[in-house]
Amino acid sequence: MTVTSADPNAPAQTAPRRRSILRGVLTLARRSPISAFWGVVAALIVLMAVSADFVAPYPPLKSDFRAMQKPPSEKHWFGTDQIGRDTLARVIHGSRTSLTVAIGAVLFGTTLGALWGLACGYFGGRFDMVSQRIIEFLQSFPDLILAMAIAMALGGGLGTVIVAIAITRIPFGGRVIRSVVLSLKEMQYVEAARGLGASHPRLMFRHILPQCVAPYLILATTHLGVAIVIEASLGFLGVGIPPPNPTWGNMLADALNAGLVPPWWLVFFPGAAITLTVLAFNLLGDGIRDLLDPRLRGAV
Amino acid sequence: MVEWSGELGGAMYSYIARRLAFGALTVLGVSIMVFLIMRILPGDPLVAIFGPEGMSKLTEAQRAHYMAELGLSDPLWVQYLAWVKAIIAGDFGRSFFRSESVAEMIMRRGPLTAEIAILSVLISWIVGIPVAILSALKPNSVADGVVRFFSILFLAVPGFWVGMLIVLALLFWFGYKAPLVGVSLFVDPLANLQIVIGPAVVLGLGQAAYIARMGRSALLEVIREDYVRTARAKGLNNRLVIALHALPNALLPVITLSGVLLGLVLAGSIPVERAFGTPGLGYSMFQAVSERDVFVMQNLVFLYAVVFVVINIAVDVTIALLDPRIRYR
Repeated sequence: MTVTSADPNAPAQTAPRRRSILRGVLTLARRSPISAFWGVVAALIVLMAVSADFVAPYPPLKSDFRAMQKPPSEKHWFGTDQIGRDTLARVIHGSRTSLTVAIGAVLFGTTLGALWGLACGYFGGRFDMVSQRIIEFLQSFPDLILAMAIAMALGGGLGTVIVAIAITRIPFGGRVIRSVVLSLKEMQYVEAARGLGASHPRLMFRHILPQCVAPYLILATTHLGVAIVIEASLGFLGVGIPPPNPTWGNMLADALNAGLVPPWWLVFFPGAAITLTVLAFNLLGDGIRDLLDPRLRGAV
Repeated sequence: MVEWSGELGGAMYSYIARRLAFGALTVLGVSIMVFLIMRILPGDPLVAIFGPEGMSKLTEAQRAHYMAELGLSDPLWVQYLAWVKAIIAGDFGRSFFRSESVAEMIMRRGPLTAEIAILSVLISWIVGIPVAILSALKPNSVADGVVRFFSILFLAVPGFWVGMLIVLALLFWFGYKAPLVGVSLFVDPLANLQIVIGPAVVLGLGQAAYIARMGRSALLEVIREDYVRTARAKGLNNRLVIALHALPNALLPVITLSGVLLGLVLAGSIPVERAFGTPGLGYSMFQAVSERDVFVMQNLVFLYAVVFVVINIAVDVTIALLDPRIRYR
């Protein structure tokens, strides 16, 4: 990678990785305090999901038959549902499902798409042409409909929902990373490495892949938000993770079945949780984008 | 400057022909993909129909009988060809649970969803474009900040939740009742509007956020162009410069985005129609999913995908008509 320094146009070196991550966080806090604030919110939500068993005031499935469908009170801050389960506890436990699904889907889908895009951009030719057609077919479905069809075909459950949402993320990873790789491939430092006799895997993973990390991170944070909304929609439509395990989506579906006039607290809190979480990840993603955008990187 | 070129010429026709050919290929690929998802992934459609418990209660002979009756014991490619043939003939099959054929259901419920989609696009333009102009004219002002905050907020709020909140408020204050049957626009326009307005507003505002964001950045880019400066240098009124010179070009990416969003609205209308209880096609999709009605689902998913492909072709052709640079590529 020493060739890099000879070419002022080549992207920055990635060697001092650990220090640069810490510095990145500090820079984010300084440059855009709003994004940093939402980053903290996102971190708190993740923390809440991880420690749901300790944070939640009640077990999520425990019914209190003396307090059925009661509005928010001192004992139950977010009220209770038809069979006396604590809404706050269920919302907290719902965050675990939502985040597991979202992170799982992004880890599988966006990553698989990114690697596919890397291969497409790098090898080009017939492989790329066929891949682009397949990606086009995948993109001919609106995300939610594709996810619904796959989740339904596989039958509900945590794993299938993750797979269903992951598949909808593949084309985006493929498209974005492919175009990044296409431009990187022509860079002088890659050419130099090729001239020195580097093998295909070495060129792909040692020289090109590190430069795809920034666009991948931007994509991944945005996809977290999208995945959470799709998961909630699937739960709402009854093809997500089946009850009684609480998810924000199936809690909203339950609320609709709670009677002619659904109690407002059963509708309000799960939806507010979705909105807050997606907002936090989106704004964090915006901040990361500003930070990592190659056009802004010189200023950092 | 966007100009309608009266002469379409060969380039335009060959562009349309190429686009249509690609579209046909995509529809073919999509049909194979839908078929693969609905028939191969579950391994056994009977499980999807009867549920794992009902499945285990069936005897071996019953299973074979149902499989043969549904045409599921044929080789896959025979099943695929039979399906495609039926669709071309306009036969979309029948639900296990209703007497109405799927084709009839689409004809009856489709217009309502189409209305919601089109109305929501109109709303998104009516709200989104002025907001984009306001925000681009004074970037980084307070108004710009407020607009950006709201557009980010609307991107995060799930439409079906907003729908539920609206229904809840209407129930609370006005005793709203979910519409049980669709009313055609041509029979009773007012009753029809009452049904579609809720979902259309919810979906429209969601799209308006994207439109405002895209419109703002497109306008900011166009305003910096030389020809806009020239127009200003001629002494044209700033409003005229924006309205006649900058806006038309800034709208090109917005039109493209609108096409993509129209597809998203078709999908988004499924949970939103469920929230409002709207008797549209999205609600049928929800029913098909909750009843595990594989065959109805297969046809509806295919229909939605084809509509999405057609919308994209229409948008591309519109853009090529408006922007000569595209068709000569």
